[in-house]
Amino acid sequence: MLAYNNDTLNNLDIKEEAEKALRKDCIDAATYQAITTAHPVNFYTPNPVIRAGLFILTLIVVSLSLGFMTLVSLSAMNNEKNFGGLCIFAGLLCYGALELFLREKKLFRAGVDDALLWCTVSLLLSSLAIYGTDSTLTWSLAVLALTLMATLRFADMVMAAAAFLALLALVFVLTLKTGVVSRTVVPFLIMALSLLVYYASRKGITQPACKHYRACLTVVSVLSLLTLYLAGNYFVVRELSNELFDLQLQPGQSIPGASFFWVYTVVVPLVYLYLGIRKKDTILLRTGMILLAAIVFTIRVYHSVMPLETAMVAGGLVLTVGAWALIRYLKVPRHGFTYEEDTDPSLADKLKIESLIIAQTYAPVAHTPGNNMDFGGGSGGGGGASGDY
Amino acid sequence: MNIKVFEKLHAEGLINDTALEAVKNSEANRLFSVHWEIKTLLYLGVLLLSGGLGILIYKNIDTIGHQVILLIIGVICAGCFGYCIRQKLPFSWQQVKAPNAFFDYALLLGCLTFVTFIGYLQFQYNTFGTAYGLATFIPLAVLTFSAYYFDHLGVLSMAITNLAAWMGIAVTPFQLLSANDFSNERIVVTGALLGVFLLLLATLSGWKNLKKHFAFTYQNFGAHIFFIACIAATFIFDSQWLLWLGAMMLVAVYIFRQAFKEGSFYFVLITVLYGYIGLSILVGRLLLATQDIGAIYIGLLYMIGSAIAVILLLINLNKKMKHARVQ
Repeated sequence: MLAYNNDTLNNLDIKEEAEKALRKDCIDAATYQAITTAHPVNFYTPNPVIRAGLFILTLIVVSLSLGFMTLVSLSAMNNEKNFGGLCIFAGLLCYGALELFLREKKLFRAGVDDALLWCTVSLLLSSLAIYGTDSTLTWSLAVLALTLMATLRFADMVMAAAAFLALLALVFVLTLKTGVVSRTVVPFLIMALSLLVYYASRKGITQPACKHYRACLTVVSVLSLLTLYLAGNYFVVRELSNELFDLQLQPGQSIPGASFFWVYTVVVPLVYLYLGIRKKDTILLRTGMILLAAIVFTIRVYHSVMPLETAMVAGGLVLTVGAWALIRYLKVPRHGFTYEEDTDPSLADKLKIESLIIAQTYAPVAHTPGNNMDFGGGSGGGGGASGDY
Repeated sequence: MNIKVFEKLHAEGLINDTALEAVKNSEANRLFSVHWEIKTLLYLGVLLLSGGLGILIYKNIDTIGHQVILLIIGVICAGCFGYCIRQKLPFSWQQVKAPNAFFDYALLLGCLTFVTFIGYLQFQYNTFGTAYGLATFIPLAVLTFSAYYFDHLGVLSMAITNLAAWMGIAVTPFQLLSANDFSNERIVVTGALLGVFLLLLATLSGWKNLKKHFAFTYQNFGAHIFFIACIAATFIFDSQWLLWLGAMMLVAVYIFRQAFKEGSFYFVLITVLYGYIGLSILVGRLLLATQDIGAIYIGLLYMIGSAIAVILLLINLNKKMKHARVQ
């Protein structure tokens, strides 16, 4: 099923584990060398930076080739349906190239293969658009089928995410088709499905049979946590049902069962956070942190508790003091938590991302100099009324 | 670490008993790091706090008055710098680690409030009169000094941004392309000069071993500004465009060789990409000069072929650099 050699994937796992052990000084360099020679990996996986470059260049090649093919066959194309055929042809060509490169050149997460996979799927889907299908059912079925196959064959994380979302869309559309009763069930159905997928993917990560799909399952579990929350978020439920079922709610009017959805909106992220801390689970913890912002957003849309600036100052104070207290508290590791960084060197660290973010949030107004040659015109505060208020 | 993998390796005789014990020990005593979570919260808190206070002051300016605000900003700024001076480790031209987790944020807040302070003085009281350059030059000097004195990469990026603003260019990552008018000849020339200056600083800090870890930041800003300015120049200068292209290629080759030697994949990638853009501009100009419809076909074929060639080149370079590293 997988396009990659199973033994090589196993060896890659072993190599990565050995690298971690080497960084933690559990094994020495000679042992590491012995392990890598005993379990050779012949995949070509470039540095992540180079991978990004290869990805962009491959996209350029594919789109220009499509343009060239269109240009050459322009005279033969008497209507746009033929262009759909061309898209299918180009998509299959991409797929052929992808399989060829994997087999012959042993590409693995190399940028070229990612780009070719994306191009295959999007070209095939765009032919669907050209043939004029606007039924959501057909679309979600087509996306689900294509991305599921792509996930199973290439264990690609983006494809896995798309497949999960397409599955949700399919269930959503099918439920709506069944009639009026379904309206009230939809949120709960999506919640149940998300919860099911979450548990299934958490379970799958530990199964030896799914071990090469770990990354995909991780992505799906994060997404399912998010959809589990969003399916019951008051804002999402109210606005979506207003839009889809034409309830014509006035501002201030509420949906049936509002109190349940309000409680759900506030409680679920806290549950995530609690479980994340209890189980020392990064996924739950970080998802919970992101969703805290969703609570604040949802409440502020419907109720103005306090003016924006007061809320900002209060929130900022709580966050800063809280973080400060946590750092002080975790100076010595407690309950298995620490403020120390993990030893894994991250790419963000190498590219000095933090300093770039600082430069981005601090943006002095660039002053276009006038005709005189001395640099730096304009005032620090920008133009506008100077002098008295 | 996955214990099962190591048990298997142990069974194969690839690792000895002590190594297996060490792995098991390390895994049993593993701590859960919340470093990035807390850091994100802290940064968000600082952002919310400074933004909220800004709005609060703006809305109440009639009741509190400008002197009081200036005083508040000044006190915060002085407090931050005072804290940093008391806490800092002795100065060295090598990398100096921050003494604690708050040091970096305190310095950042101090620098931000200092810039606001000077801007406020100029805006409200016109302190520097028409010497506008001075109003941006003072923060520039203070930022540069702080970056070196306290060893802070973020403040160095702020100083570079300020230097560019002083020269009339926006260099923040998302504004580099959108906020500058690259059809203006002066901006283009200034950008190229600034880029060369920053690249020189990068070379100097690496060569003389003066805060060597700053070289990446200098080179990153410098290379992008220089190359983008050169690309713009090949479009707007009708007579000297070949000269600009030549300069661009020379610098690209120089940075490329440097990066290849140091094993920096990032700079290898960007010099290859910018060099490729330069080459394509040359080909495009030549094809345009033929004024023939067939040129469009040739151009498309060139683009497809050359992009594939660059892909192969990058794959090869990556292999070579990996081998160089292993040895």
